[in-house]
Amino acid sequence: MTSIPMEYYLVLSGFMFSVGIVGVLIRRNAIVVFMSIELMLNSANLTLVTFSSYLGNVTGQVFVFFVMTVAAAEAAVGLAIIIAIFRNKLTVDIDKINIFKW
Amino acid sequence: MELSNLSHSLNLLLPELTLSIALLVLVLFDLIFHHDKKIISYVALIGLLATGFFVINQFSLSGFAFSTGNESYRNFGMITIDSFGSFFKLIVIVASVIIVFFSLSSDEIKKTSERIGEYYALIFGMILGMLFMISATDLILIYLSVELLSLSSYVLAGFTKLRERNSEASLKYMIYGSVSSGLMLFGISLVYGMTGTTNLYMINSLIQIPHLNLFTFSFAMILIFAGIGYKISSAPFHFWTPDVYEGAPITITAFLSVASKAAGFALLIRFVKITFVSYIDTSGFWQLIHVFDWKTLIVVISIFTMTLGNFSALWQDNLKRMLAYSSIAHAGYIMLGLAVLSNQGLTAMLIYFAVYLLMNLGAFLVVMLIANKINSEEIDDYDGLGYSSPFLAASLAIFLISLTGLPPTAGFIGKLYLFVALVDANMIGLAVVALLNTVVSLYYYVRVLKHMYLTKPETAIPEIKTSKPNTILVLVLLIPIFIFGIYFTPLVDLAKGCITILGL
Amino acid sequence: MINFIYLTILLPLIGFLINGLFGSKIKNEKVIGIIGSAAVGLAFLVSLGAFFQTLGLPVEQRSNTVELFTWLNVAGLNIKFGYLVDQLSLVMSLIVTGVGFLIHVYSIGYMHGDKGYWRFFSYLNLFIFTMMNLVLGDNFLVLFLGWEGVGLCSYLLIGFWYDKRFEKGTVAQAAKKAFIVNRIGDFGFLLGMFLIYSTFDSLNFSEVFSKVQHFPVSETTFSLIAIFLFIGATGKSAQIPLYVWLPDAMAGPTPVSALIHAATMVTAGVYMVSRASIIFASAPAVMTIVAIIGLLTALFAATMGLVQNDIKKVLAYSTISQLGYMFLAAGVGAFSASIFHVMTHAFFKALLFLGAGSVIHAMHEQQDIQNYGGLKKYMPVTYLTFLTAALAISGFPGFSGFFSKDEILWYAFSNGNFIFWFIGVFTALLTAFYMFRLVSLTFYGEERFKHTQQHASEGRGEFENVPHPHESPKVMTVPLIILGILSVIGGFIGIPALFSGEGGNNFESWLEPIFKPAEEKLAYTGMYTHAQEILLMTISVAVALAGIYAAYYIYTKKPDIAGTMAKKFKGIYTLLFNKYYVDEFYEAAVVQPIQKGAEKILWKFTDTFIIDGIVNGAAKLIDKISGTIRKMQTGVAQFYAVIMMVGIAAVLLWLILGI
Repeated sequence: MTSIPMEYYLVLSGFMFSVGIVGVLIRRNAIVVFMSIELMLNSANLTLVTFSSYLGNVTGQVFVFFVMTVAAAEAAVGLAIIIAIFRNKLTVDIDKINIFKW
Repeated sequence: MELSNLSHSLNLLLPELTLSIALLVLVLFDLIFHHDKKIISYVALIGLLATGFFVINQFSLSGFAFSTGNESYRNFGMITIDSFGSFFKLIVIVASVIIVFFSLSSDEIKKTSERIGEYYALIFGMILGMLFMISATDLILIYLSVELLSLSSYVLAGFTKLRERNSEASLKYMIYGSVSSGLMLFGISLVYGMTGTTNLYMINSLIQIPHLNLFTFSFAMILIFAGIGYKISSAPFHFWTPDVYEGAPITITAFLSVASKAAGFALLIRFVKITFVSYIDTSGFWQLIHVFDWKTLIVVISIFTMTLGNFSALWQDNLKRMLAYSSIAHAGYIMLGLAVLSNQGLTAMLIYFAVYLLMNLGAFLVVMLIANKINSEEIDDYDGLGYSSPFLAASLAIFLISLTGLPPTAGFIGKLYLFVALVDANMIGLAVVALLNTVVSLYYYVRVLKHMYLTKPETAIPEIKTSKPNTILVLVLLIPIFIFGIYFTPLVDLAKGCITILGL
Repeated sequence: MINFIYLTILLPLIGFLINGLFGSKIKNEKVIGIIGSAAVGLAFLVSLGAFFQTLGLPVEQRSNTVELFTWLNVAGLNIKFGYLVDQLSLVMSLIVTGVGFLIHVYSIGYMHGDKGYWRFFSYLNLFIFTMMNLVLGDNFLVLFLGWEGVGLCSYLLIGFWYDKRFEKGTVAQAAKKAFIVNRIGDFGFLLGMFLIYSTFDSLNFSEVFSKVQHFPVSETTFSLIAIFLFIGATGKSAQIPLYVWLPDAMAGPTPVSALIHAATMVTAGVYMVSRASIIFASAPAVMTIVAIIGLLTALFAATMGLVQNDIKKVLAYSTISQLGYMFLAAGVGAFSASIFHVMTHAFFKALLFLGAGSVIHAMHEQQDIQNYGGLKKYMPVTYLTFLTAALAISGFPGFSGFFSKDEILWYAFSNGNFIFWFIGVFTALLTAFYMFRLVSLTFYGEERFKHTQQHASEGRGEFENVPHPHESPKVMTVPLIILGILSVIGGFIGIPALFSGEGGNNFESWLEPIFKPAEEKLAYTGMYTHAQEILLMTISVAVALAGIYAAYYIYTKKPDIAGTMAKKFKGIYTLLFNKYYVDEFYEAAVVQPIQKGAEKILWKFTDTFIIDGIVNGAAKLIDKISGTIRKMQTGVAQFYAVIMMVGIAAVLLWLILGI
């Protein structure tokens, strides 16, 4: 473990975070958008674990467990909502879901 | 952790514990009483009243729950109980009680009465999230409570499911909320990396010694602010607000606009105060640690928030949507109180919240009662309402006048104290901007009055009869607006007594 | 009871709320009337209790403040909602609730069958509520609150029959006139209040008055404050030049005229001047102005009263004239005499109005005294009580008005000068004359009403309009009798030292602690003997008797004299009958120019061109901007997210550039 410097993990997690954000911004399919959001959360998890390990402080790891639970709940709720909207509109294309505007 | 410490902590958490028990009882009763769902509402009410009782009990109490017990650090906990938190908890509980009454007379909710247990359980989830948000002083707990609040409200925004509008509101809320909480989480992870702790008090003591990378730290702060800013719908994190408010069931809209916003503000205030204030000078101004310029950020954001809110509201023809924009504008006004960064500004914010609770809920209530009958929230359908249903129209008019901030309503007092705080802090330019914004807001509020009283309806509309309980509920919100408009000393005294935020 | 003084304010408020909120639902008139009267009656009992408790206290402890709550506490201005229970406010509150109660009871009968019955009683109770705030408030702001409140109630009650016609215009116009003229006075009062606050940094009576005595403030400041306050008083108490609203206020129901426009509200100005006596005493020049204005008002109003034919109008001018006496007294430093006259005047003038109401009631809303006559035998109780009141106001020895008016005249002589006294006595002559002209034309002589009324009814075939004069019901006559008794004996509590010997004037010694600072400051030295007092008193009694007899002789014995006199002095008669054309003068000199100016300059130019231009321009601009801004709300969630990221990026950029 000692051989890999902390920066590697951080760069990876930053990269994951950016991919997540870009995914949220440009993908049209609601499910892919949710996957991108998961990516964002997981990049944060990676950061937390990294810091936890390098600081020798257990708080970060505990936090990660909580985040994982939350992410699971979020995915459940998100999928339920997507199903609801699919039943109503027969599409999950975010561009087309815009009755409310202006 | 010692046992005595634990029992001490649990003692401080009585409101939250009561609420959790009530939540479990709700779920249980929902399973047991299949046919008569009416009892669920009463259980909800009792649970809230019990919680409210413990909250009021806590007003004189203060302390830290779940402190780390590690002597090398300052002995601060994850949860802080103080009068500031109790004030906001009371606001949340009062709003929740009123929302339960709302729900009892809402046609939208009545249509889904077989799922009413679910509905209240989710609302209780929201309230629990809010209560923890208000008193959380640890980043982990902050994140968890924000998520608890958000997840429950995503579902509630789309609760009726039957309508396309509902699910759209829900989805937009969900995407927007998840992205901003994702940003916040990343911000939190950076802060943790830099300081090695998630406790706000410890962060405060660590950043007093400037050895941080200021840029990274500021970046993390902005990310965290994105998470909170979305909760209080401040620009540029406010875009979800109109869409969700318009699409969600009106009871939930009203709840989000008051309680959720109150909790968000409590979190923001506590976060800024505990983490970034080095000391409070003799005249009550908060001196920031020079790591992040919150003052400028909040000033700019509040100007943007209220201007965007007010200007967009001008064009709205849907009352719910108009009130959504107006609530954005109000968030901007309230942020001004934080921008002052003083005890006086904090007092003004507390006063404003108490008043805002009454007038905003009142406006939503009347809109709901009207929508129950005419099945519309469009402003054109309000033509001639002043003559066909004088009571509702007059009440709505008063709520809107109070939202504008004209005397002799309580809304005026709220704005007065905010502006006085601004002027006392030599931020007169900001006060002028806020004042001009108020003038703009007058236009769209009065536009409703114009439709109700001056426009002749095309077809004669029947009188909208309000049942006795609803009339009483309207009056309960209406009368204090006048009382606090004229005799506001008790409110001011209460607010002055509730500005203690533990720490420092 | 002192600590419960707030009940005197709370009870009428409760009465107002009950009748105002639920009155339209209560079908039984009696219930409404009893609720309204009981609220005031109980308030009277509380005041009475407080009075006796205060009476039992040693003199130096008689001034008590009951603080209810802090009303305002904004940026250094701290106003407490407190009530001052002292000798002066107790006298006033006893008058207000006592006479008010009797008038409430009377109204139960008088307003019988009116469609706005509940509205009437709720307004009356609201009036008592605000009036009690006025007299009991312990600072200028609470006083002002009551001051504005009574103005509002006066407006509401003058315009009570808003759909009826009144003289040349409508009742609503009369109400508006009263409100606007009062507003001019209120403006003065407000300026005075601002000046007090900026000078003494407080609005609390005790603080301000003690600072007045000890602060080094120039006389100019005092004069300005006093003159502004006095302008307020001239509005509320109908003094020259703002008296014009009171005659028009007679458009309201008669009990209203009795309560508001005779007994209580119009004396608010006198109360305020007496309350601020120390301020006025510090500005001697203004004192002289007060005295002269009072004197002139008394004289001119009395002359106008000589020729009026509307029974209520005569009483209205008489009220203005009597108020003039009160200001004369205040102006010569005889504040307690002034308050004494407020009290006796409340008794007999309320009685006169209520009696007039009883007559009007009997004559089917006919108010022209030329169509009365010989009513004595039809309504004996009304006649006797009315006569009592007329004797009292004329200053007939032994009646209440005699003592109070005589005291004023005496002080006008001893503290003022011979001319004050002379004009005062001349006015007393006129008073006696017009009052007994009224009594003669109404109750004595031949019955003129049948003739005229039958004439009218023959033409149109309306028989129901023929009046059958009758005595009013008990609920109306009993208050008359009580007020009659008070009009007789009310003066005995203020018998001058001349008659009562050792004890001195009871009323004066009761009020003495209040006015002592002012009197010490003024330091009048009465170097006159009892003999002089007796001489002057005899003269005024002789004058009163002469006036009474002359009126009786002209209007009852030789009715034709009146007509010939009117013809002979046609010029003066027309001038008086048209009230010196003051209304016309105001219309031409004030109302028209303002209206024209407002139309041409304010409306056409400033309003339409400049303000509308700016406002519309700004509105258009805002419309444009907001139209663009709202387009940002595209409805696509991802676009929102993009803006959010842009926002974050913008802040980051600011950080990079800033740090």
